[in-house]
Order: sequence, then C-alpha cells, then structure tokens
Amino acid sequence: MSQNTSPARSFTSAVEWRDFEMSQSWEVIQEGLFHYPLDPGQKLALIANRCTGCGKAFFPRRSLCPHCFEEGVLEDISLDHRGIIYASTVVHIPSPAGIKAPYAYGYVQIPKNQIRIFALFTGADPFTFKPGQEVELVVEPVSENHQGQDIIGYKFKPIT
Amino acid sequence: MREVYIIGAAMTQFGKHPDRSLRSLGFEACLNALRDAGVRPKEIEAGFCGNALAPALQGETGVGQNVFWEVGINEVPIVNLENACASGSTALREGWMAVAGGFHDMAIVAGVEKTVMPKGTMLNVGAGEFETKLGEVFPGYFALIAKKHMERYGTTSEQLAKVSVKNHLNGSFNPYAQFQKLLTVEEVLNSPMIAEPLTLYSCCPNSDGAAALVLCSARKARRFKGQKIKIAASVLTTGTYDNERDITSWEVERRAAEKAYQMASLGPGELNVVEVHDAFTISEIIHYEGLGLCLPGEGGRLIDKGTTELAGNIPVNPSGGLLSKGHPVGASGVAQVVEIVWQLRGEAGKRQVKNPRVGLAQIMGGNKEGDTRVCTVHILIKD
Repeated sequence: MSQNTSPARSFTSAVEWRDFEMSQSWEVIQEGLFHYPLDPGQKLALIANRCTGCGKAFFPRRSLCPHCFEEGVLEDISLDHRGIIYASTVVHIPSPAGIKAPYAYGYVQIPKNQIRIFALFTGADPFTFKPGQEVELVVEPVSENHQGQDIIGYKFKPIT
Repeated sequence: MREVYIIGAAMTQFGKHPDRSLRSLGFEACLNALRDAGVRPKEIEAGFCGNALAPALQGETGVGQNVFWEVGINEVPIVNLENACASGSTALREGWMAVAGGFHDMAIVAGVEKTVMPKGTMLNVGAGEFETKLGEVFPGYFALIAKKHMERYGTTSEQLAKVSVKNHLNGSFNPYAQFQKLLTVEEVLNSPMIAEPLTLYSCCPNSDGAAALVLCSARKARRFKGQKIKIAASVLTTGTYDNERDITSWEVERRAAEKAYQMASLGPGELNVVEVHDAFTISEIIHYEGLGLCLPGEGGRLIDKGTTELAGNIPVNPSGGLLSKGHPVGASGVAQVVEIVWQLRGEAGKRQVKNPRVGLAQIMGGNKEGDTRVCTVHILIKD
C-alpha cells in the first residue's frame, strides 16, 4: 500500500513531501492516540502512558505525572481493547465535525487500566448502547476531510 | 484585604443583535454602569473585560481596549480575560482582587459577546480537541451527566423540564431576557431531541449581549448615594481532571462553594437569591446540590417542591437564567451579578424577590477530560 509509510520518514525536498501528502488517502483525528496503519504484528490498541511511581494511567499521554512530578517516570502502555460503557447518549443533531445524526457516544471504563475514556460507539443501532455493556475497540473512519479523504478515529463496538 | 463594593450595574438586552458590534454592545453596558454609579470615565483606574469567542467568531482581539475606549476609558491598565463561560466572572474576580488588594480604588468590569450565528451554522467551539473531532458536542456532554443523574438518583425528565419552565416564567418578567415566552413541561419534553435526554428547550440559546459593573473601595463608596452592595466572597477554582470521577456532581463547584461560604462567613441557609449556570436544565439541578441548597441527589425533588421558584424559600435564576435570558458566553457571568445587585437593591421589577439580603452567583466554564475547567462563585451582601 502506498500510504503504508513509517511516521519517521524524512523528506529531502518540499516537492517530495507534497507528493507524499497527496498520495496519503487518509488522516488521523490526532497523532499519538493509536497506531495507524498497523505494522505487521502490531496489535490494535489505544496508546496511553502510566506513571511507574503511582501507577496512574493517562490517555491521551501526558508529559508528566501530576501526582508524582519528577519522582515518577512515565512509560508507554497499550490500553486493553475491552471496556465497559459508563455512560452513553444519542446525539440527534449533526456534529460540526461532520458526523451524521443520530449517533451514539459516551464514556468507556477500561477496568484493566483503571481509566475512563471518551468514545464514539459503532457496530449497532445507536439507541441500544447502555451503561454496563461490554464493548471493544475499533479503529475506522469517523468523517471526511475537505479533500474527501477519510479521517480515522477510534470507536467502541459491542462484544458479540 | 480591603472591602469591595459594587456601585454600578448595567446590561444590554440579551438576544439577537445582528447589526451591532461587540464595541457597541459593550459601550451601552459600560456607559449605563457608569451612569448608575455616578462616576466619570476618568475616575476609573483599571478595566477588566471578559470575552470568550471574539477571536474565533469575529476575528477580533483586544475587545476590552475597544469597548473601554469607546466609553472614554484609556491609559489605565486594561486586561482581557478568557475563561470560556466563566470569562465575565473571571474579569469580576480580577477587578475584585485589584480593589481588595489596594492596587486601585475604582475599577470597571465588563463582559461582552456575540455568539448568534447565521442560520444553519453551528458554533464549532473546541474544534482542535480530539473529542470534538470524534463527534462530542456540548449538549452531549451534559446529556451524559443527565443520564447518569437519572440512573443514580431517579431524577426524571419532567423534573429537568420544570427547570426550563420555571426559568422561562421568570424570564417573562425580565425585559432584558432573550425569550419572553412561557413554556409548559409538555412543550419542553416535546421539543426536538438534541442529545438524549436533553431537548431543544432544555438547552440555552446562543446570544449577543454585554453587561458591566463598577467596583470601588469603601472610601470611594461613601459618596455613592444608592444602596451599596458588598462583595463578600469571590472564588475561582479549576478542575481536578480525574477521569474516573463521579460525573453526577462537579467537585470543582463544591470546592468553590465551600471556599466562598467560608470567605463570607455564612452558609447556604442564609442565601436569599441565587443565579446559577443553567446552560442546560440538568446543570441547574446539579448546582442546587453543589451549592448545598439540598443534599446530593435531591435536586430533582427540590424543583418539585417549588423551593427555587420566585416565591419559594430560595429563588434560583430570577432573571430567567441562561435558558430564558440567553447566554452571550463572556457576558453571562457579569450579567448574573448585575441581576443579584438589582435584586438586593430591590430594583428587579416584576421578578423582585422579597427583601433579599444575601445573593450568590455561580458559573463554570469549559470542558477538559470530562471535567470542568473553571468555576467561580461570588457572594454579595446588601450593606
């Protein structure tokens, strides 16, 4: 795949960079939230970090543990792909980000990592998501940018 | 710390002002606040202006210098404050600190905003945040909180709707309110769904407007002939951002309220009139609990009992609140305090609360990690 390029890639000229930009057929909602596209052998996961001092996990990753300051060391971790819905709602208005209504979102608790994260829901009727329901991570298009390219985000779908 | 008094208070009508600039709205509020205080612009030693969205919506920065110069205030220190919905109340806190700290004897505080968008355009605020890119919208955040409150405490959609009904009734008595229209519980529940369980009439509108206050030290206040209002507490807190917190209350608000009561040496039982940040119906219910007007989880039952109505024991949002009066973001926090001043002076007309002595204004601003970025609480006492 032409777009399957390492993020560390360097460019020798603006023309080369522009050609690369033109060839890439997607963008991600924010760099550093998840690996995309996946390298061979890489598992689908949200990227967080955790303080080795107090054990607290942070998503998105923080620069410093606010509890331990410089006594804590932050290490990157992959969040467990399974979670439990803490709260959910159905939005009936189109989002300014270009998502068609009705759509469901809420907060997902990741028990293994003791963290709660914001998440869009997918894979079922938006009216069916309920607190306590088990869900799992997917990475897929959320909307389109002005060039008609997919904007890739993360969502959670019911575990079937 | 010195005592600080409010001797001037004014606001524009809130609503749609497509033909007026921020400068024009701010000018009207500031001029009327100066007239109310009987103060000339050259007596003002510092100016503090709250505005949240002008850089994004109007492409305008330095709104405070524009507004204050229009009314003849220049050369003195002027500061622009942005703290989302709490921008105006943050400006008030800065003004209070300047006078309380002895740096100035007389200061002006303004809040100015225009958020009414052309039909069909949405306020795309927070567009840079990944949650927004994933589809988060403001009503949705409050909808999640409402659902959790209903799940945990049995709060009902009818109780939420009653907040909007009460505030629209109050707003119908307020010539400065955007809506003068009465609503029934059925009309609120049957209005278009925005984010479940919040319907259109459960959400405050986008508005244009401005409000202003003149603050001064005790010495300067002596020559003021009207009823003086003392700022007994001014508190600003910032969120904890613990992503696993219980979303049915705002810890940032509890901390602010506790500090404010301590500072004013009184408790929630002594309040006679309250203005809270009812951007959504659920917010007012939770603010009842956060400010200690009732126990956690009892907010729905408090509205059922009628305690917070104009004739109730502790009237909340006599102005009509944001739901009916409107929400020009950076102006709202100042306008709440204008309402409390008018109430304490006995100048609130048909919506006058009976002989109040102590009033409180609460507002919050911005979301971060499912928490609120900032909360302010001001307590005013009739001197």
